[in-house]
Amino acid sequence: MIRRGHIFIGLLAVLVLSVAAHGLERFPPPEFETDYVRPTTVTPHPRQDVWEYIDTGVFVAALGLATYLVLRRRSRKGIFLLMLFSLVYFGFFRKGCICSIGAIQNVALTAFDPTYAIPITALIFFGLPLVFTLFFGRAFCGAVCPLGAIQDAVLISPVKVPRWLESVLRILAYLYLGAGVLFAATGCMFIICRYDPFVGFFRLGANWNLLVFGACLLLIGLFVGRPYCRFLCPYGVILRQLSRLSKWRVTITPTECIQCRLCEDACPFGAILKPTEQWPAKEYKIAKLRLAFLLVLLPVLIGAGGWAGYQLRGWLAQAHPQVRLAQRVYLEQNGQVEGTTDASDAFRATGRPSTELYAEASAIRDRFKVGGALFGAFIGLVIGGKLLGLSVKRRRTDYEADPASCLACGRCYSYCPKEHERLKLKKETVVAHG
Amino acid sequence: MAERNDDVTRRRLLRDGLWGACLAGVGGVVGFAAQKSRKTEWVWQIDPYKCIACGNCATYCVLEESAVKCMHVHAICGYCRICFGFFTPEPYALTEGAENQTCPTGAINRKFIEDPYYEYMIDESLCNGCGKCVKTCNAFGNGSLFLQVQHDRCVNCNQCAIAAACPAQAFTRVPADNPYILKTVDHA
Amino acid sequence: MTDTTQETPTTEMDVGGRTAATTAKVAGVFAVLFLALLAANFIGTSVLAPRRENRLTAMKVAIQGGEASEEQLAEIRELDLQIRRDRIWRLDFARKASYALLVSVVVFVVAGKLAGTLSKQPPRPQHAPDVGAEQIREARQSRWSVTAGLGVLAAAVVLLVMQEAPSAFVEAKEAKPLFASMQEKSEQWHRFRGPGGGGVSVFSNIPTQWDGQTGQGILWKTPVPIIGHNSPVVWKDRVFLSGADPNQRLVFCFDATSGQLLWTGDVPTTPAVTEADLDVMEDTGYSASTTATDGVRIYAIFVTGDIAAFDFNGRRLWHKNLGVPDSAYGYASSLETYQDRVIVQFDQGDGSEGKSRLYALDGATGRVVWESKRPETPNSWTSPILVDVEGQLQIVTVTDPWVFANDPADGKEIWKVECVSGDVAPSPIYAGGLIMAIEPYSQMVAIKPTGQGNVTETHIAWRMEEGAPDICCPAGNDKHIFLLEGSGYLMCFDVTNGEMVYEHDLRDNFMASPSIAAGKLYLLSEEGVMYIAGLGPEYEEIAKCELHEKCHASPAFVDGRIYIRGYEHLYCIGQTAAAADEKTAN
Repeated sequence: MIRRGHIFIGLLAVLVLSVAAHGLERFPPPEFETDYVRPTTVTPHPRQDVWEYIDTGVFVAALGLATYLVLRRRSRKGIFLLMLFSLVYFGFFRKGCICSIGAIQNVALTAFDPTYAIPITALIFFGLPLVFTLFFGRAFCGAVCPLGAIQDAVLISPVKVPRWLESVLRILAYLYLGAGVLFAATGCMFIICRYDPFVGFFRLGANWNLLVFGACLLLIGLFVGRPYCRFLCPYGVILRQLSRLSKWRVTITPTECIQCRLCEDACPFGAILKPTEQWPAKEYKIAKLRLAFLLVLLPVLIGAGGWAGYQLRGWLAQAHPQVRLAQRVYLEQNGQVEGTTDASDAFRATGRPSTELYAEASAIRDRFKVGGALFGAFIGLVIGGKLLGLSVKRRRTDYEADPASCLACGRCYSYCPKEHERLKLKKETVVAHG
Repeated sequence: MAERNDDVTRRRLLRDGLWGACLAGVGGVVGFAAQKSRKTEWVWQIDPYKCIACGNCATYCVLEESAVKCMHVHAICGYCRICFGFFTPEPYALTEGAENQTCPTGAINRKFIEDPYYEYMIDESLCNGCGKCVKTCNAFGNGSLFLQVQHDRCVNCNQCAIAAACPAQAFTRVPADNPYILKTVDHA
Repeated sequence: MTDTTQETPTTEMDVGGRTAATTAKVAGVFAVLFLALLAANFIGTSVLAPRRENRLTAMKVAIQGGEASEEQLAEIRELDLQIRRDRIWRLDFARKASYALLVSVVVFVVAGKLAGTLSKQPPRPQHAPDVGAEQIREARQSRWSVTAGLGVLAAAVVLLVMQEAPSAFVEAKEAKPLFASMQEKSEQWHRFRGPGGGGVSVFSNIPTQWDGQTGQGILWKTPVPIIGHNSPVVWKDRVFLSGADPNQRLVFCFDATSGQLLWTGDVPTTPAVTEADLDVMEDTGYSASTTATDGVRIYAIFVTGDIAAFDFNGRRLWHKNLGVPDSAYGYASSLETYQDRVIVQFDQGDGSEGKSRLYALDGATGRVVWESKRPETPNSWTSPILVDVEGQLQIVTVTDPWVFANDPADGKEIWKVECVSGDVAPSPIYAGGLIMAIEPYSQMVAIKPTGQGNVTETHIAWRMEEGAPDICCPAGNDKHIFLLEGSGYLMCFDVTNGEMVYEHDLRDNFMASPSIAAGKLYLLSEEGVMYIAGLGPEYEEIAKCELHEKCHASPAFVDGRIYIRGYEHLYCIGQTAAAADEKTAN
């Protein structure tokens, strides 16, 4: 027989089951007889707003200073010191987040998610370097970006990367850009941030795999100049195109080029273009045909890319957790898989019918029809554009910094005899005045 | 010569045109985003009504010591003598010995108030965000214990690693001036 | 700047360059060292720490429910403290080592750069090659490499497109929950006293001859780890039982052909239950309720109010505690299943608090689909039955004083009749188109189940008031109803009017309910003696088989076999396939 005393405890333990059992108190909060006062919950605050202003201010100042150092002062030392400052401030101090590269995703999300509004800082970090690059070239890359800074810092003994390898590796960066924008816009994940190789070093802690990847990149970076910047950075490929059109750009010589060839091996990033020469007549004929063919091929590539992207919508949609969940729940419902996962358990605990989940997941997958097609078309355009760019003969008489590839590091300045003339002139002027 | 000059001018015009278009493009994107933007930062937070206390918060945070910790709203707490968050489901005895406690780091302190009520406080410095107490409190108790991202510790990554790994998709972005989603009494 | 093309490095620069290089190498070595330390620390956290934690968990489990010595407790506390200290130490170490690593890497990089700068040679452009040809070649190579890249991408796309992306859910209109149909259930023994809860089997090949001592006619016998009075539940090739004592609640799954124990499932409880320290009647035991299955999962409930679901491989899907039931003799109602839900009759209390409920829980998650509050009815020990009344499915339950019929889809009441009272334990049955409800010691009431609302005045077909059993459920077909009292008094009634057909005193004690199979009446006594009789107008003993073990639970009948749970063993009465073939051949 159950004793009365135990029934009291039994009653205390009776769980009133109701549909909203999750939050309704099973044990009514007590009313105290003594003068006990319930403690209030402490909610610690995030960092002050003021830091946002400081960050933005430092960013603008750094961009301005970088541009000045690259174009006006032409001082490698200055650029290097500013780069170190950016590394310490935006990298280790601010832990590499938020950065301009990641900000692409925030903009993509703002455009397609009505519930998300990009904070002003992120927008400034995204837009300002683009504007500066349109006017002055990639000074941002040279001295402000912390990811570039950490790679530049470890560059000890540069090795030349053959052109053909560079061309094909850069496709990776476009893929990264397209995928980053696609997954951010559809609300899957910010992959650029997730797979940022250097943020682990800035934070002094990360997922083991990511740290290894970052370390490998830096080890490669000891010999290959700025591998992430040149072959992976999604922001960099946008800057490339804008920098091609910039009003002012980095020139190796401060005045005129005398074709002395001393700067040929100056650039660790392969951004110095040699003067072009006449081709044999046969080459021109072939080149014309090739160009015509590639011009026709371009829309074909775009179309094929779009089609491929559309076909891949099922796979691309797997990046979204709701889609993966719907598939898992479906398999479990139909006995095609054993057991459950935490995610499917969590879903069932909400009590929502699985048809609702399937409908949501299908809607998300449908977004990938257009998204995937655009992504594919974009890659098609990129590859077609690359091929075209490699088939056009440009006329060049001087040694120039490739406006797209030049990362504005300033290393080439000291190789130019005209630069030394300018410095000597400056010193003499100073001496004369002083 | 004139032809070449024309060529050069044409190219110049094309380039300037493209330049103008790009500037307009950048301006357009930034302008569009700007009219929607807000001054306050977004920070990450856990919706305690979705959270299933799976334990990922303790392991996926990029920080060595997770920024997620357990919080306690005393208004909801039942002050039970047999606290389902404090004791294991089948405690050997109702004492504070390690063998009886759910919390692996001993972060919950128990204090007698009046019969039969006990107060339970979380020592934040010891809590590692594993959620074991949350699970049992939700299953058998009032659910007054729940996990929250602590914003004096959180680095506010653009992509929260825990958010990506949360099986219940309980992470959401909240404005920085109201960064906590606390449970309230009698949520229905 | 000098104008000599050959530049000899000065001695200073040489020394500087060498120092820088050496510093870089040393720093590099330090960096590798710190990296190794960090890696070791990482291995420690990810491999060694979890092992310790598992050991602690095992130690905690070991002391559960038993007496633990002071040493064991001290050991646990010591290990717990050690784990916590270790964790904090590791965090600290990782932090310090990271900083050290950072410093050495910085030194390495700075020294390396210095070495590089100091040993830099001025440019020495070689004799100019054919730049034009070089440019043409570079452009051609690049075009080909880009084309190759395109090819790789295209191949990847083709591969992916050929493989179907996981999107089965896209076409899914209706979620299909899994459960067995009523037809499938009719050929198994999925709950207490079989489909419909009437103790009736559809099979005609049920054995009539066996002996527990010689083993003749017994296919296998397996010891059951814990005593329990719930009956076997059979689904195709599996037999399920549950068992419990004050410290544990277990579900067992046996192979139907070999009798091997396939798995044991554990059902946890809550601290409140541990504290409640239930004291149940010995005759009831801690797991009197028989399990039930819906063909996909097996459900079990215990006297503590703990209910759990397992899949057929033994994986526990969910468990919950409905509250410790306030039941005078100990909770004993068995479970029923409807589609993918489990039906729980949870009557408790003395009636004044209105705590009694009829629940339908979702089989996959344990979530309450519906609950029906019973108006101020007290504790009962009957079990619910799911019957098909002219196409309409009803869940019929008997409490004091009502017999309820609820709709299994939404729990709403269909009809109710006020007709019984007392400590109701025999469950109702559906026979001859009527629901038979028993009031212990007193009467049997036959109810027409076609009513709506309170049909006490109109739908009672007849009452038989010549006495009724207090424990055993009735058994019946469309001709007769059989009642068996615990003392061995067997009564047979006409199903149409309740008139007695015959009565017979078996002079033996019975706890198991009577069953009807293959046109015979099977009665299992407490001593393990199975009386097999005809269903005729008078008592006719066909056979008497002795198991030589005490039996409390009712047997299960499935396709040529009888499963009987004794106090210690689970028996399978039947023949091997070979012997059965031989018999049919002969």
